[in-house]
This record gives sequence, C-alpha cells and structure tokens, in this order.
Amino acid sequence: MSKSHSTRPAALLLASALLFGAAACGDDSDDTTSTGTSATPGESTAPAGAELELGDGVTEEPCPNAIDESHGCIYLGVLSDLTEGPFAQQGVAVQQGAVAFWRRVNEAGGIGGRFEVDIETYTRDNKYSPEEQVARYREMAPNILAVATSLGTPPTLAGLDLYHQDSMVVVPATFWSGWAFQGGFAPSGYSYCAESMNGLDWANDEFGPIDSVMAIHYPGDYGGDSAAGARVWAEANGVEFQDGDDLQTLPNASAGNQDAAVQALLRRNPDVVMLAVGPRETAEIVGRADAQGYEGRFIGSRPSWVGSLLEGEASQAIIDRFNPVSFIEPWGTDNAANAAMEEILGAGKVPSNDSFLFGWMWQYPVQALLDGAFEDGHLTREALTAALAEGIEVDYEGMMPDQVVGGDPASAVMRDALILQPDPANPLGSEVAEDFFIGDTAADFAFDAPCVEAG
Amino acid sequence: MTSSVLRHRALLTVGSVAAVALPFLSGATSTSLYTRILIGAVGAIGLNIVTGLTGQVSLGHSFFLAVGAYTAAVLGGTAGRTVIGHDLDMTIWLPAAFVAAAVVGAVVSPIAFRLRGLYLAILTLGMVFVGLHLFREWTSVTGGAGIGRPAAPAVLLGRPLAEDLAVGAVTATSPTQLYLLCLAVFALATLAFVNLRHSAFGRAMVAVRDRDVAAEAMGIASRRVKVVAFALAAGCAGVAGALSAAETGYIEPGSYDVLLSVEYLAIILIGGVGTAAGPLLGAVFVVGMPRIVEWAQPLLPFVAAGTRDDGILTRFELQTFLYGVLIVVFLIAQPDGVSGALTRARDSARTWPFSRLLDHN
Amino acid sequence: MDELLTALVRGVAQGSLYALLGLGFVVVFKASGVVNFAQPAIMLFGALATSVLAVDHGVWFPLALLFAVTATAAGSAVVERVVMRPMISKPPFAAAMVTIGLFIAAQVVASNLVGLEIRQLGDPWGLDRVDVGGVRIFHSDIAKLVAAVVVVTLLNRFFAVTRTGLAMRAAAHDQEVAIANGVPIGRLFGTAWAIAGALAALAGMFLGVGGVGIDTTTALLALKALPGVVLGGFDSIKGAIVGGVVVGVLEAVTKTYGQDHLAALGNNFDQVVPYVLLLGVLLVRPYGLFGSKDVLRP
Repeated sequence: MSKSHSTRPAALLLASALLFGAAACGDDSDDTTSTGTSATPGESTAPAGAELELGDGVTEEPCPNAIDESHGCIYLGVLSDLTEGPFAQQGVAVQQGAVAFWRRVNEAGGIGGRFEVDIETYTRDNKYSPEEQVARYREMAPNILAVATSLGTPPTLAGLDLYHQDSMVVVPATFWSGWAFQGGFAPSGYSYCAESMNGLDWANDEFGPIDSVMAIHYPGDYGGDSAAGARVWAEANGVEFQDGDDLQTLPNASAGNQDAAVQALLRRNPDVVMLAVGPRETAEIVGRADAQGYEGRFIGSRPSWVGSLLEGEASQAIIDRFNPVSFIEPWGTDNAANAAMEEILGAGKVPSNDSFLFGWMWQYPVQALLDGAFEDGHLTREALTAALAEGIEVDYEGMMPDQVVGGDPASAVMRDALILQPDPANPLGSEVAEDFFIGDTAADFAFDAPCVEAG
Repeated sequence: MTSSVLRHRALLTVGSVAAVALPFLSGATSTSLYTRILIGAVGAIGLNIVTGLTGQVSLGHSFFLAVGAYTAAVLGGTAGRTVIGHDLDMTIWLPAAFVAAAVVGAVVSPIAFRLRGLYLAILTLGMVFVGLHLFREWTSVTGGAGIGRPAAPAVLLGRPLAEDLAVGAVTATSPTQLYLLCLAVFALATLAFVNLRHSAFGRAMVAVRDRDVAAEAMGIASRRVKVVAFALAAGCAGVAGALSAAETGYIEPGSYDVLLSVEYLAIILIGGVGTAAGPLLGAVFVVGMPRIVEWAQPLLPFVAAGTRDDGILTRFELQTFLYGVLIVVFLIAQPDGVSGALTRARDSARTWPFSRLLDHN
Repeated sequence: MDELLTALVRGVAQGSLYALLGLGFVVVFKASGVVNFAQPAIMLFGALATSVLAVDHGVWFPLALLFAVTATAAGSAVVERVVMRPMISKPPFAAAMVTIGLFIAAQVVASNLVGLEIRQLGDPWGLDRVDVGGVRIFHSDIAKLVAAVVVVTLLNRFFAVTRTGLAMRAAAHDQEVAIANGVPIGRLFGTAWAIAGALAALAGMFLGVGGVGIDTTTALLALKALPGVVLGGFDSIKGAIVGGVVVGVLEAVTKTYGQDHLAALGNNFDQVVPYVLLLGVLLVRPYGLFGSKDVLRP
C-alpha cells in the first residue's frame, strides 16, 4: 500500500457496493420458499377427507392473469430458444402452443377445478446455451413445480444434476434418443433415431427396394441421432452404408451453402437420402439436386420441414421428391387435439407454424402428471417425479397414439411414425401420406441405449 | 503515513469484508449471479491487458476461454462413454487452465507482431472459427457439437465444493464456496493487473500501444511485450473459462463463438478500457443484464409479456436489444465507460466521500 | 471433370456473393477507417424489404429491389447520422464496437420483423439453369457474378473520379488533415453508409435467391465475407472481388472433394479453409493482396 493513488481500494469498494446493490434488488425468493405444506382444502373439489399437500411452485393465491380469482396457481417453468439461438423460430412457436394448451385447461377449470396453470411468468430465454440455461434455471427453480419446456439437447443436459437435486420433472423439447435413459424427463414422441428407421422402411416399401442410402445431417443430438438410425436401417436391411454415405453438414449461417451435400449426393446418386438439416437447407439441397438431375427420394426428419417451404422455387421438387416423417397428425386432420387448438385460436385461424402443434403436444404428459398428483393429494415435485418413474399413460387426444411416458425405458420408447406429403392445399403445408405404422426395423430394434451418447 | 493512505486501508478492509460477507447475506440464486459476475470480470481482466494496455483488439477471447474450459474438463472431468477425463483436483486443473491457455496465447501471438487493429481483429475472429471446427471434431475432448460433455467439477483439495462446509456456527453452502473461490481469483487477478500496470513492464506496454515504433527506438522490446501481454490475457481467459464451466457444470463447443468474445469486449468497454475497476463494473452490467431488464420490464409498456402477438418486442428480444443499445450509448456518451463516468461524477461533486480514492490514469 | 467445373462455377458465384457482401465493409472502411459489424443486420433489413414488397405486395421484382435498396440506403445513412457521427475522431476500435452494439440491437428487431416463417424473395431466377457442355449453370449464379462486376466497376469509378469519392479516400487517409482542408467529413460518412446500405440490400437479396429464402439466421452469413475482404486488402475495391472469388472457389473445391480426400481434417473443413488461407497470406503480406500499406499505421 505504498502507492497513494492505487485504484485497488476503489475497485474493491465499488465491487462490494455494486454487489450489495444487486443483492438488495435481487430476487431472493429462494430464501423464503413458498408455503410448503400448507393444507387448505377450502371449497375445493379435492378428494374428500384428504389434505392437499402443496409444494414449491404451487400457491393458494391466484395466477397473475387468472381467469378465476378463487383458484390457486401452479407455476411451470420454460427454458427455450426465444431470440438469437439457432432454433428461435421454432422456440417461439412451441411456446405459443404451450401457452394455448394451458389457456384451454384453465378455461375448463384448471387442475382439479382448483388450480390454474401459469406457464408465462417463469419463461426464460436459454439462447440454446448451457450457461444461460443453468443460470436461468437456478433463478426460476425455487418458484416452479416443473419445467414444462426445455428446448435443445445440450442446454437441457447441462442442468441434469440440478434437476435431480431439486426433484424437478423436465420436458425436453427435443427428440434425442437418450432422454428415456435419463431419469426425471418426460419426453413425448419418437427419437430421431427411430424416425430414420421408419422413414426408410416406408421408402423401401413405397419406392421399391432401396439399394443405396445416404444420410445428410447436422452433427450432434439431432443429425447424429438421425444418421445413426439410417445406419441401423442399412445394416438391418443388408444395404451397404459406408463412411461416405454419412455426410455431415452445417447450417448455411456457418457453411455458406449446401454445395458439399449436393455435390456428394449427385456423385453417389443414392436411391434415398435421409435429411436431418434445417428447413432452408432442405429447400436448397432438394431444389438444387432436383435441378441438376437427381431422381431419387428424400426422407426428411421432422425439424427439416416447415410448410413455408412450399412458397419457394424449390416447392415443386419438394412436392415431388420429399416426404417428412412425423409422429403427430398434421394441422387439418380430424382429431380432438386439432379441434381444441382451433377452438382456442378462434375459428379459421391457423397456428403461426407447425412447431405450435409440438408445443401443445409436449404439455399432455405435464397435464397428466398434475392431474394424477392432485388426485393423490400431493402437488409436489417429489410426487411428480415418483409418478414419472412409475410411468404414466398419456392420452394425446388423437394427435398421436397414446404413449407411456417415463417408467421402463424399453417399454416407453415410441416406435410409431407417420409419413407426410407436402401439400400446398393445407394451411400448414402437409397431409398424411401414410398413417401411423411401425416399420420392421424399428419394431425389431432394441433401443437399449441412446443412438448417440452424451459425453 | 498520510490520512489518505489510512483511509485507503480502511476502505479496502471494509470492501473486502463486505465482499466476503455478501454470499452469507444473499440467497443461492443471487450468489451464483455474483459468482458469474466475478468470473466475467476475471476473463475481462485478461482482455483488458491486451486491449487496454497494449491496444490490440482481439475477437479471439472465446477461443482461450474454450482452451481453459477443455483443459480443465480433460484433467478434472470424469471419463464418459465417449470423452476422456482424469478426475484430478482443482488445484491442478485451475492452474493448468491458465498455463494451457497462456501457452496457446504465446504460440499464436507472433501473428500479433505483424498485424494491428483491424487485421488482428479479423484474424482472431478466424481463430474462433478454427477453434469451433476443432472443438466440433475433437469429440474425445469435447463430446462433439450438439452434445457436449460435463465440465470439471469443483473439487478443492479432495473436498467437493458441492458439499456444505461448516466452520463453527457458519455454514458455507456450495454456491457460497464457489463464490469465495472466484472472489479470491478475482482479487488475485485485479492485484496482478494493477501491479502490472504500474510496473516497468506495464509502462512498456502502454508505450507500445501509443507508438510502437517510438517505443522500439527507446529500447523497448515491443515483440516480447506483446507476447507476454497476449499470453497473460489468454491465461486469464483460460481461468475464467474453466471456472465458468465449473459453475455451469456442462460445456458444448457451440458456446465458444464470436458472440462470447463480443460479450467480453462489451464488458471492458462498458466498464472502462484499461481501468482496474472496469472489468468488474462492466461485468455487473453485462452479466446482470437479464436481471436488470426483468426488473425494468413493467416500466416499459410496449413490451409483450411472453408471446409475439402482443407488443413490439418480447421481453427476451428487449433484453438483447437493450444489451446492444447500451453498448452504443455507453461508447457515445461515456467513451471511458462506467469507471470514467464515476471519475467525472467525483470531479463535479467534491463532496463525494471516496473522491480521492477513485484516481485514474 | 464436370464435377470440377461445377465446383468452379459455384465457387465463382459464391465468391461474387462474398464480394457483394464484402464491398459494404470496404466502402465504410475506406471512408472512415471503421469496420462496420452492423452490416449483417442491415443486410437482413434489405432482404426483408425486398421480400415484403415483391412477395407480400406483388410489386414487380426489379422495382421492389430498387425500393428496398433505396430504403436501406436511407435507413443506413440515418443510423450513421444518429449513432456514428458522434464517433468521428474517436478510436476506430471504439467505433467498430459501436457497430457491434448496433448489430445486436438491429438484428433482434429484424428477426422480429422476419417472423417465424422462411420468407421468399420473389426473384425471377429461381432454379432456372442453362447447360454449358454438361455443366449446369444456375441463372441466379450468373446474376451474382454480373452484379458483383457491375458494382465493382461503378465503385472503382466512384472512388477514382468523383469529388465525393476522392474526398472519402482523403478522409480515410487522415481524418484530421481532411477536416482541416474543409472536407465535409460527416456528409462523406453518411454517403459511405448509404452506399454500404444499398450494397447490403443487394447482397441480402442474393442470399435468398434460388428458392432458399431468408430467415432470422441468415444475417450471420455476412461475416463469411470478411476473410475474402481481408485477403484482398480491406481498403481495396478490386481486392474485395478477387479475395471473394478466391475464397469462394477454394471453399467450393474443398466442399466437393473434402469429404473424400481431406477426411483426416474432419467434417466441414471447407469452413476453416478461408481462415487458413488468410493466415498464410497475412503472414507474408499483412495488408492483403491489394491493400495499401497505410492500413497498418493509421
């Protein structure tokens, strides 16, 4: 301390002053966690004689925008890609679907006629980044009962230990094949891995025996999983699948264009290409390959497709050569879920894009868990986690086959898929080409480990 | 001993005690926010050496953060089905993160001899892209793109920081321990920065920044100065990368992109380039931004609560928007950042009790 | 052989696109010594304007493009006046950082306006192509090359002949001397930004042609133009197109043959190629192929 003009004390002083300031206005609700086990049956329709246990994220006070002020509130968290991440367009529509789902539930009286569900107060942007996910999760965790949407495999995996510590049920909004093997998650639908198997099985039946197949895909949980499925299919069906048939590409924002994929596929000229890329990249690959004389077929992983592809120049090639695989019935199909969505949106209105349908679909297991927990008298995280570990039957109101979520991974795996046909007549761009089926390859595959391992 | 020195000491003591006491007065959520602020400040101190003292603009900071994080993960992480890890102690992986990043920094620094300003900025941008490619492909270290791997857990001298530590009547929770550790690292880095700046070597850096040809003529080995500055900066980034990974618990290659470098540049610019307090002040703003916007949101009527339909921007978009606007406004209105603004506030109001302490060069 | 020719043609086309994207950076840099990192967001606005006019309102495409280019140029000049003017005589690094802030703020607004769908441009080229000896050449690729050549020629003349262009070069060379000699430096910067905005709108349009369309992730592609620009020399118009085409061709060749012959270097090595090339060139010629040495000692 010989220098009288040192900035050291100033820095430290400012540090403490600022940090104190931040502490003072910070939201320290984690110190004063919610009422815990207050039991007030009140005027409710709760099971007679049973006291209802309310855990973190459940309050007797009404939700901020409650429809019925006499109802309590269940807070659900959302961690999604909402602004600058690579899947922001999907993330925003998924969130709109989830919000619509719970609006409908609340308008119908909520959970057990006593609790409305709030999914907006604790919605945060994870920017598809593990750091953001963990930071935002920590902030919301004391105030929520479950995480109703967690978009992106790497961010969702990042909080693994934290969710387990908190006994938090998390809905992963991704189709990575590993979720079934990680406890505490409530995934819906098939994995990209199963998707490829079913898509290729269908193409094999539809377009004659396939002699050659190629996988064009992004790296990681999405494309890697999809390509692993293509490899499994090729091995199971005696089709050669060399390293050259497995082509990794990147989004245009990094790669500039998809020439590498187009050139490779023109050179190898496979009968069928399994695509697991983004929608713009799909348009480019399908459009350019077709324009340069490719005559094979494309099977698309679900995220490679959006209806607005039919407005572009590549639309004819897409209609002629491209079929996305899906596990939910497209917009316009007659089922109870679609009817409910139409009712909540208002007659004649159409969702912003079909990620809306997925956002809606992912909430069914959450509703089933909440209903079950309410009936058992314990609206707590522990009760939800325990129920999930047992496995719960979920009714998706016809948008997809009923499914067991949680429980034994092998029996919970969804093997069903349907095939879409791009169709400009549909407001969201697709009709069913082949209704739900289970292909031979997927039926015989064990699914006893993730197709692509995490770390 | 003058009264000003005495006051220095008193305030330093009060400040230190307050900083140490802080996590015990806050909840776990706030504590982890403070921890992230401190980590951001440590990384920014590195950039402050390269940009503030030697005047080189580097967009490559995220690359060094990644080098630190992956060095730590390989040494301190646990081996998985696809990734390697050696379960070593933090006393090994934290210094190793510094050394590894500093060595890489020294290796790439010859580029910095030849290039200045814009060209260096773009080449360091290239370094980030080359790094992203490397991390995507080197799956045994990184887990691969879109997958990632768990980071090195904070285990200090054989004891996991995840367990509560009771000393007498006081219990330090896991976030508190990590905070205190980061506080110590931050204090060390700040001390080193201040001493460096006042050393002959620091003055040599500033001389190189202002006129490198003249500095050479005066006998300053400007090459050596730049190598050391680059290595120190990279080392600080390495430590910040490793700590940040430990705080999050998980790392994915895609995180180490240009935007992360920009975030660190924003920290030092908002805080005040070349100042000792700048990194911390900037980090409070940049890292704390989501909380600030959350707090401010009810005051802004045109912001939609959640979905796109009801408002010009959603509150998440507003966060990002304000982050950009703040950078612009700060640079226009306060070219020397928060710490410069504070200095001016002192000058205009002499009654400011700490006025004599907020000296700047 | 056809494969190689196809790769070369595509590389030249992609390189022309990089040149168009890059020239926006060059013009602002030439006038003010600032790297305008806001260019990608301005580009997204330009492409969006074309899309709104041509597709949503059915305006004849050339007219829609003209409107979009004009509007983006005007908007860009306004941004310069409001945000960049106060940065005159501040260090170029601080000014570049302001443009990064601008990018972050503008990008989020542009994304909001683009919305949740892929937007088409309504361009006349689509996926049409001509066959030249077995090589299929897309009309849109020819358009990119023609546009780049025309723009380079015009800009070269502008900087070599017009008073404004000459004054810009003087201002970039030494701001204080230029001001002392009565060069209206603010107006010059406004003009430079307007030109950059016009170029951004043009380049943004070309990003979405061929049925690909634009979405919110499109903007970052503009950064891919930087290696080409630096390779050519940041203050050289001619360098931008040479650098762009060299990078484009090298990338295209790597894309075509990389998977089979460079497998050891990992997937998608083509992404890194421009920077490896850049590193090599800059170590030998720190000011790029056509850049002036002055750039080193501003």
